[in-house]
Amino acid sequence: MSAKAERVSLENRQKELLELLDRSGASLYALLTRLTLRQDVAEELMQELFIKLSKTSSLKKVKNWNAYAHKAAINLAFDWRRKQHRNPVPLEQIREPASGENSALRELMHMEELQETLNAIERLRRPAHQALVMRYIQEESYDHIAEQLGKTTHHVRAICSRALSQLRDILGASQSQSHGKELKHA
Amino acid sequence: MPKIDESELIRRLKLLSQIEPTSEATNRAMERLRDSLTQQENLRESTTTRIVRAVIHRSVIKFAAAAVLLICAGYVTGRLSAPEQVDVEQLRAELVQQMSQQWESILETRHAQLRQEVYQQVRRDLMEFAARTLTASRDLTDQRLVELIQLIEAARMQDRQRIAAALEQIELNRLQDKTQFRNGLQTLVARANEPQPTKQN
Repeated sequence: MSAKAERVSLENRQKELLELLDRSGASLYALLTRLTLRQDVAEELMQELFIKLSKTSSLKKVKNWNAYAHKAAINLAFDWRRKQHRNPVPLEQIREPASGENSALRELMHMEELQETLNAIERLRRPAHQALVMRYIQEESYDHIAEQLGKTTHHVRAICSRALSQLRDILGASQSQSHGKELKHA
Repeated sequence: MPKIDESELIRRLKLLSQIEPTSEATNRAMERLRDSLTQQENLRESTTTRIVRAVIHRSVIKFAAAAVLLICAGYVTGRLSAPEQVDVEQLRAELVQQMSQQWESILETRHAQLRQEVYQQVRRDLMEFAARTLTASRDLTDQRLVELIQLIEAARMQDRQRIAAALEQIELNRLQDKTQFRNGLQTLVARANEPQPTKQN
């Protein structure tokens, strides 16, 4: 490819990325915040996401940029969560989480529950956790999810239902485990 | 396996879905991203332009220098590697002479080698023949000796049998004589004991 053609291609991609930022930036940022529960991390992941998108060589094949970016964002967020498990962050480095308007104790309990739920989602396989996040956290319609994942609506419904059941299993098991530990400790 | 209540799970997912970043944070993140994308574009543009210029500039100079060097090298090589006139007759005569010398020496060497090989072959054959003859004569002598021993043994056995038969006959004769002698003696004794008849009788 000549330098001129390459330059034109880069300019086009830049334009597309800026359009994507205007169109879906807020939604992507909200999604990342929901999955990481931290605004500062979401901001960093947004940067990382757009750098990845600008460097991906197979972008010409992408038909739906919005769907592609959302899937990439979900994967990035769960990758970050996995890294967090491997390298736990010291307490003093943790900033204040994305907050509501409740009391401190209630807030803490909610955070605990949400972290547990997200950790459980992380343990699901890729299409399942993508579908689940899109359906129950992003609250998108089955048709829209099917379009984004390239599957039929029926299939997406089945994936979501199975994922929900698995999630109940995982959370049930972890709850009984923690309950057992508490009893033993007592 | 214990399962968490579905409504509880849905409640948690609902809570997750209700989390919204503050509008300030969203604006800040988007502005930062937009800035970095624009800067990246500018940086890329300027870098690309500089690189392209430098590459073009350097490549033209290098190309010219390489072309000059190639032409010079071609000229020198051509001059040095130009072919000289060859005297074919002289070359042929030299070749013939050289080849005949080589062939002669080769043939002489081959002839001596061949003679040596034939001599050695004949010697080996003769030695082998002598060894075979010696072995055969030794075997024949052994066989004859064995036959002679067998004949002597058979003659000895026959003699023994004859001697045994003669001894047996002598014993039989002795026993017969003894019996006859005893009978004669008994008859004599019996007659001596008989009363003498009187002359009157």
